[in-house]
Amino acid sequence: MKEVELDCMGEACPIPLVKAQKKLETMDGGDILLVLIDHSCAMKNLPEWARKAGHNVEIEELDDGEWEVVIEKVV
Amino acid sequence: MSEEVKSSGIQRSARRSKRKKRKSQIMKGVLVFLIIVVIGVLLGRISAKLGFFWVTGNAFGFILQKSRFCFTAAMRDPYLTGGTNLTKAVLLAFAMTSLAFFAIKYGAHLKGMPIPGQGFIAPISLATAVGAFMFGIGMVISGGCASGTLMRVGEGFSMQILSLVFFVIGSLLGAYNLGWWKVNFIARGKAIFLPDLFGWIGAIIMQLLIIVLLWIAADKWAQRKEIKTE
Repeated sequence: MKEVELDCMGEACPIPLVKAQKKLETMDGGDILLVLIDHSCAMKNLPEWARKAGHNVEIEELDDGEWEVVIEKVV
Repeated sequence: MSEEVKSSGIQRSARRSKRKKRKSQIMKGVLVFLIIVVIGVLLGRISAKLGFFWVTGNAFGFILQKSRFCFTAAMRDPYLTGGTNLTKAVLLAFAMTSLAFFAIKYGAHLKGMPIPGQGFIAPISLATAVGAFMFGIGMVISGGCASGTLMRVGEGFSMQILSLVFFVIGSLLGAYNLGWWKVNFIARGKAIFLPDLFGWIGAIIMQLLIIVLLWIAADKWAQRKEIKTE
């Protein structure tokens, strides 16, 4: 089980989502992906997609307008 | 905000980002609200129309930001994430505005008054398709349509200040070239006002029926994607 951080600060939606999708493909089940985002729109569609795809998702607001989306890959 | 910020249940290493202590922003919020009201009153004294625009503009921005309503995502996410919640929200908004416009226009028609907003009925032509295609590419690359870009500039997202600058440049170019499009394409098209074709009641039924069909399609699309990913 490994933990990967993906820094998407300053990147507009949908780039964080696409990057996260690509990254998750290279990871194994049980691995955790941390996506750092500061685009409010990505805060909505990234968790939505990840939940739909069946992964475990949690969101933490690190600071005003900065979030960390924690995705645990479920195969 | 639809997403709740919860404490972590996923097992993670100790190297986790610390959440910063946040100051309460209620006082600042109250202050900003008061300033908005004062500016609104001052604008209203200059002209009622300006005051009205100020109030609706602020309300629109507030709702857009808080609801994370995004026209770009409504068009893009069915393909990208398979989610159609925003698409359905936009369709619902269209249905509601259709009813409101119908009420305003039909009301004026019944009273024998000039129907407001008829000047905005523009002919459909190749220009519509070309413009929609260009706008679609632009909004997905820049991460927002006009309202979305403005809203995120207000949120302090610096990259979209760049979007805004080029949005202004693009609009200026568009306005500059509008004459050419008008002469060559737009003027050749036919302006269609649905009530002229189907009658008033027929037009609103047609419009709502198409929106309902799109809604059903969006709903089915989301379910189809869900089955595929499982």
